[in-house]
Amino acid sequence: MLFFLIAVGLSIILGVMNIVNLSHGTFFMLGGYISFSLLNGKVSFWLAIVVSVIAMAIFGVIVERFLLKNSYGKELEQVLLTFGLAFMLADGVKWIWGTDLHMLPTPALLDTSIPMGNVAFPVYRLFVVLVGAVIAIFLWYMETRTRIGSMIRAGVDDREMVSALGIKVNLLFSGVFAFGAGLAGLSGVLGGPIIGMYPGMDSDILVTSLIVVVIGGLGSWKGSFVSAILVGLIETLGKVWFPALSMVIIFLLMIAVLMIKPSGLFGRRNVI
Amino acid sequence: MRSASKSVWTILGIALFVALPFMVSSYGVLLTTEIFIMAIFAMSLGYLMGYAGLVSLGHAAFFGIGAYTIALAGDHIANTYVLILLAVVFSGLIAWISGSLFIRTSAFYFLMITLAFGQLLYALVWQLKPITGGADGKKVSAVMDFGFGPIVDPNMMYVVTGILFLLSYLFLRKLASSPAGKVIKGVMENENRMKSLGYNIRTYKLLAYTLSGMLAGLAGALYAYYNVFVSPDLIIWLFSGQVLIMVIVGGVGTLIGPAVGAGFFLILQNYMSSYTERWPMIMGIIFITFVLLRKGGIVNLLALLGKKRSGGEADSLDREQKEAVR
Repeated sequence: MLFFLIAVGLSIILGVMNIVNLSHGTFFMLGGYISFSLLNGKVSFWLAIVVSVIAMAIFGVIVERFLLKNSYGKELEQVLLTFGLAFMLADGVKWIWGTDLHMLPTPALLDTSIPMGNVAFPVYRLFVVLVGAVIAIFLWYMETRTRIGSMIRAGVDDREMVSALGIKVNLLFSGVFAFGAGLAGLSGVLGGPIIGMYPGMDSDILVTSLIVVVIGGLGSWKGSFVSAILVGLIETLGKVWFPALSMVIIFLLMIAVLMIKPSGLFGRRNVI
Repeated sequence: MRSASKSVWTILGIALFVALPFMVSSYGVLLTTEIFIMAIFAMSLGYLMGYAGLVSLGHAAFFGIGAYTIALAGDHIANTYVLILLAVVFSGLIAWISGSLFIRTSAFYFLMITLAFGQLLYALVWQLKPITGGADGKKVSAVMDFGFGPIVDPNMMYVVTGILFLLSYLFLRKLASSPAGKVIKGVMENENRMKSLGYNIRTYKLLAYTLSGMLAGLAGALYAYYNVFVSPDLIIWLFSGQVLIMVIVGGVGTLIGPAVGAGFFLILQNYMSSYTERWPMIMGIIFITFVLLRKGGIVNLLALLGKKRSGGEADSLDREQKEAVR
């Protein structure tokens, strides 16, 4: 489910807005580190989540406004800009927070486990799954049932036409990018107690979530949803059965999917 | 007039190449050697990007394959010719196999799939610890020897890499102007037109990808000899990204641009890291500025300046070497 949260943020930015964002993993990492600092300052976990998400959303707006505004439709430029950003920020994170591994503490309220048969299932993970499900429902509602959802879909299909209708596409797109960045920040905080934070995690996260998005298909958060569950399952099972080769299996899955359906499982069309 | 100035530049370049070891410290010679190696690597990616329109974020995979071939096979085979040939052929083979799977995808998927492929190899090297040494890396036991005695002296290494750099450059130039190279360029510029002219565009893209992979493998092989040590860091996608930076900063769409970029990157890295640990930050800012300026890389900027001043363009091969001295 954590994969889903990360991947869905990426998929929104990538699929809905056609922006190739290589700094998504960095957003994730920043979200985690910001809440780490907040928690060290004795702020409660819940407040830390809110602050980190808002901070990442604001950061997303800044990035979109100043860096990516003029690069719509130019994928190579986006790749380069966001890679440069990731390169810089990774160094900035090392600068500010050092290179040690940090773990976020699990919030006390959720730090128990439910016995299920003969295994104990930690409540915190259940909570993460729940958050993922809520966001999936929210997205579904936004996309199909609200005016904003249809405006965004229209804006992606024909930007000029929509802005001619008097809709502020620029503002709308900044908002969507901020939402995606905020989701990355959220998953960074939620992932903190499970996978921790370390330098280099941004690329681990980025690669995995890109694979999730590619398997799921661009422009479809539903695809990301299905493929995140698939990748998560395979990775967990793979780690049990062939510990050395879990990455290889996921990669083979991706190749197989792309061979059969070149635009991913649920790809709308070949957007990029 | 132009050919005369060209030969003057060539002579100057050769003179500089010979004189350099006497002019700079032994550290400078080592750095220049590394620049030559990275320049070969950057040119291989630059060719792929600027002449075939394929942007790869996993090119370090082939560099790594080349380097690890020397490190692993070097324990059993001593002959340098055989080893380097093996490294080049092996990376070419992997490029051919992986490329034939990847090339059918669109630009964005190609980028992602090469990235994932690079990370896959990275994970493999990391996890096959008994063979590859895992995260600790592996010492290279083979010593470079072209039949004139072992090459251990840094100055000799400098000469060898310099010559191979020049050969790689000439090879790419020949390739770019060959009929096949022109078709590759045509495919980049207008795929549908080339298709309707009857060319099998996939074959030509695959050709470019394979040759580029082989060249990257050569660079990796040289690096293994130069560094006497290989580690998974040679495969990680951040390294692929660094090379991408070199190519962009140097200038896409030219052959020499990526080489200039490699020189610029390494010199800046060495220069800055003696003052501040924050060089990736500064490099990132420079890189983003170059992309935002949209004027192309260093080579394009210099060409613009040159055009303004004299209306002619100079051979930029020498410029790279001058840059190396600075």
